Amino acid sequence: MGMLSIRLKPNFLGLLKFLNSMNWFIVFFSLINLSMCIYEDQIGKFDWRQTYVGRIKFAHFDTVTTAKKIIVATEENVLAALNLKTGQVMWRHVFESASSGNIQLLHLSEGDKVTTVTGSNPYLVRGWDPATGVLQWEWPISLVDNERAHLSEWWVQNGMLVHLLPAFGSHLEVTMYNLMTGANRGATSKLPAGWINDGCVLTPPYYTCISGNMGEYMLLSLDVTSNAVQIISKPLSSYFQANEVIEGNLRPLDGNSAVPGFIIDDKSVVVIKNNELQALGVRLADQMATVTVIDGAYGQTLMQSWSDENKGFSLTAHNAATGKEIPEISITNPTLHIPDPEILDVVCMNTARELPACRILINAGDDAIHLVQQEGRVLWTREEALANIVAAEFVDLPVSDTDAALESEFDQKEAAKVYSSVWAAFVRRLHTQYQQLQTLMQNLQSEGAVQETPTSLVRDYFNLHKIIVLLTDVGKIYGMDNLSGEILWQRYEPSLNTQSAVMFTRRSARHQPYDAYLTILGKHEETGNGYIISLNPIRGTLVGEGRLRLDVRLLQCALLHTPDAERLHALVLLDEDEAVQVLPVSATPLVRDLYMYVAEKETGQLRGYALKYDGRQVVAQRTWSLAPGGPGAHIVALAGKSRSARVHSAGRPLADRSVLYKYSNPNLLLVLLERPQDMTVTAVALDAASGAVAAAAAHRRARALPLAVHADNALAYLYRSDKHRRVEIATMELYEGKERWEAAGARVSAFGRARAPRVERQAYILPAAPRALAFTATERALTDTHLLLALTSGTIMELPWAYVEPRRPLAGEPREEGLIPYAPELPLPAEAAVNYNQTLPRVQNIYTAPSGLESTSLVLATGLDLFYTRVAPSKTFDLLKDDFDYHLITIVLAALVVATYSTKFFASRKMLKMAWK
Amino acid sequence: MLRIFISTVTLLLFANASYAINSLEDEVGVGRYVIEGRVFPPEEQDTNNWQVDTRIHVNGGEYIGFIKNDGSFSIHNVPSGSYVVEIVHPDYMYEPVRVEINSKGKFRARKVNYIQTSQVIQVPYPLKMKAFTKFRYFQVREQWRLTDFLFNPMVIMMVLPLLLIMILPKMMNDPETKEDLKQISNMAKMSELPEMSEMITTLFNGGAKASTSKAKQVKKRQ
Repeated sequence: MGMLSIRLKPNFLGLLKFLNSMNWFIVFFSLINLSMCIYEDQIGKFDWRQTYVGRIKFAHFDTVTTAKKIIVATEENVLAALNLKTGQVMWRHVFESASSGNIQLLHLSEGDKVTTVTGSNPYLVRGWDPATGVLQWEWPISLVDNERAHLSEWWVQNGMLVHLLPAFGSHLEVTMYNLMTGANRGATSKLPAGWINDGCVLTPPYYTCISGNMGEYMLLSLDVTSNAVQIISKPLSSYFQANEVIEGNLRPLDGNSAVPGFIIDDKSVVVIKNNELQALGVRLADQMATVTVIDGAYGQTLMQSWSDENKGFSLTAHNAATGKEIPEISITNPTLHIPDPEILDVVCMNTARELPACRILINAGDDAIHLVQQEGRVLWTREEALANIVAAEFVDLPVSDTDAALESEFDQKEAAKVYSSVWAAFVRRLHTQYQQLQTLMQNLQSEGAVQETPTSLVRDYFNLHKIIVLLTDVGKIYGMDNLSGEILWQRYEPSLNTQSAVMFTRRSARHQPYDAYLTILGKHEETGNGYIISLNPIRGTLVGEGRLRLDVRLLQCALLHTPDAERLHALVLLDEDEAVQVLPVSATPLVRDLYMYVAEKETGQLRGYALKYDGRQVVAQRTWSLAPGGPGAHIVALAGKSRSARVHSAGRPLADRSVLYKYSNPNLLLVLLERPQDMTVTAVALDAASGAVAAAAAHRRARALPLAVHADNALAYLYRSDKHRRVEIATMELYEGKERWEAAGARVSAFGRARAPRVERQAYILPAAPRALAFTATERALTDTHLLLALTSGTIMELPWAYVEPRRPLAGEPREEGLIPYAPELPLPAEAAVNYNQTLPRVQNIYTAPSGLESTSLVLATGLDLFYTRVAPSKTFDLLKDDFDYHLITIVLAALVVATYSTKFFASRKMLKMAWK
Repeated sequence: MLRIFISTVTLLLFANASYAINSLEDEVGVGRYVIEGRVFPPEEQDTNNWQVDTRIHVNGGEYIGFIKNDGSFSIHNVPSGSYVVEIVHPDYMYEPVRVEINSKGKFRARKVNYIQTSQVIQVPYPLKMKAFTKFRYFQVREQWRLTDFLFNPMVIMMVLPLLLIMILPKMMNDPETKEDLKQISNMAKMSELPEMSEMITTLFNGGAKASTSKAKQVKKRQ
């Protein structure tokens, strides 16, 4: 025994030591478990993805291969195949977003091949299998003449790729390549053509120009691929009546026209047939009409389509030879509104019935594409504007009528107004309860029926159901249901320039009887002045100011923090001349203690303004000015606190039971600047009200990435370290220290603070290329915050803040409870991918919003695709697990009750027997 | 100061790696190169059309490559420099490779090491990319197992006292303790729990009879 204890003792001590050192390991692994990931059966339960391709540039019907589809190439540098029946993406290839991914040509040849030319000198020619989307062959071309390369024209003819490069005023350079191998058949041929100018159009293989002096224009056309140079020409006046003014504008026919042709002055259509210019007897019905010629069942048919404000969408078809209208194909649909239609491609198939069926693919000015059948029925529509979202806002839904009644009943102010006596209140109480009973009965009755009707846009118990208002680049605004991803309403505002547009929820839906109020602030397309659109985010109708055109350019805007009598937050606008406008004007006296800042991106200058109401109007006064990056720096990213952020935790408890108080400054602003000449990245955290710098950091030999976030007392930004050729994430946390500067609940002044906060900072290596960064947002910020990081590989990683926390102790420093020791490289496990294997190419932004549950944050990732999910950074501590077994717990409870009584019964019987003994 | 942990590097290796940085700066006007390689499909059989889902990203999508039917790929028009080549597949993980092209057009491929950036572990150049593992995106649901149930602390908390109550008295043959235990059990005569029959009778017969039944019970006990 003694031996044993001796032998055991040192080991035991060692074990204790080991356990002590394991302490942080335990913490570490418990944190790993914290990183939330979903179960396989939860796929699609909380999340949805919508795939888009962007505005269509080229489209071809592929009716040859078994699954009928449309091959499209888009402005977003995407090549995709869409299912002809449903419009869904069958396969998709995303090229580089830079100019090296620009699609110059899409060609679908009869021999079952898709050819694309991408890039901008050097170019890449690729061949694809249309059925599967697999790459067949690729070869590069680089042009010697880089200056003129952007004038290049490409097309495919007889299995050869033709490249045309015009030199205005002198000649045309034509080169032919073997499509599959890139072998150059013969050298470049130079066709002398002194008559070409920048108004020329190419309608393969003809190159057509209008040349000559005013009044005696000549139409000249040249088949650039024929061996003999043969110019066909005609005076332009022969296509016009004598009294018409001829401007001499050319535009080619749209929609992969079956014959080469063009439109002169948006009036008459000329085609080239048998090497001859031939005017068609049909004139354009509308100046903006889109025209194409197809080879269909009716012979060569000229189709044109246009849209009218009143008459809606129209499409007419004429026989190209005779000029007679074909009424079977023509469409006039006043209910269909397709702004600025453009025919992308038309296919007419002979069916068993007598009438041939035509499908027309139409690209609209609002980036939507419609597949229209000949009777005017839209088979499907794809809202491709959603591939380019500039702003998104989560809007709460209004409460149901019964809940609203309940709320107004218990609203103290309201109640005092309405009920004079106790009796009235009592009667009202009874009435509400009766109503509640009624709704309960109704719910019970309709339990089996359809649960979610589209009209049930009311807030759910946990406020998880919201409307996402999306503002797209083209000026289309959508209201989307966040649970299903269904588009509830849409508006197209062509005069809204959405560049640096912002969106504000000025009144939430909770203030009955007032409706929710959302304002979009952008620029006017033509003038560049301020342009305001106010709408009801639930219904999509214009409210309040409606569409408002300002007559000045704007510098900055803000929401007034105090609402007016109608619970509406006024919009405060600072214009170019540093004058202030308040909308609505009646809210002007409410402007108090308002500060604004203006950041100039190019010069890296920041200016602060103090706004004061002087009894008559609001005046802005410059208070501070700062150029934190030094001369030559420009601002890459700005991050302030989100307007909805509320922080309900004042500090962090430490291992020694003291509290480290946070520096929670609501005006804190993170500015990320870059100075390219000496490759320095500067990050400055400053108080936007006073202009005082709270923290700053500089990185040498680095390039900034436009990714910076700020929430609570935490700051994070990314930069590329050129020295080490890797991406690093730098984080900062600001603390007041172990004692509070002011007593809890005291009013905090930005100007009274002379003390600088304690700054903790650290940097970590990110072993991936980031695209977007966001913090999770919860209602009271009591839950852990996680970073959401979208990567170029198409995943969104949920990175716990504990991993990038600046307080992680270095090797050799004393370890602290709850902190993981420093490790330079961040782990990015697959479990942290919130979008699992649903790859999201080119994520632009991640928007987060709190839900009614403190544990849950709603996430929307925008980019080429839309992805919505919800994350729970500290797991769903306020909800039962969704796989919670209600049956098991019922059975166990019932069994326990039965067991209790049965044992009691047996016990009493035994007692009885014992008594008889 | 930002504290990024950098391990000490041998000078020789660093000199070897630095040419790529220099060539990055004067990339304009230098010839364009082609990065070539081949991707091997994952072992599993359920990978039809894996070519469409696979992408080659160079420097995080600065250049994007696609693979042909046989898995080969080439990325054209790349100027000299240092590039990280990664294979992006939604379900399978591939290890990224750093490819360095010097100004003379010489290629070198090595493992990516973000911490010790100068450490060179060469890999064969026409790249051969093999699937590393399958991504594990999902948590595995716990299944109901008997052992899990039995070793649940709650269950143990319930079962152990039960054992103590049931088995301990039998093990002890000492009559005195038996007597004590009896007294204890008599004291805790489950009088708190209402008798089932009693409850039902009170429910159906009303209060008056209940009192009689109680009287009966009292008699019985006497």
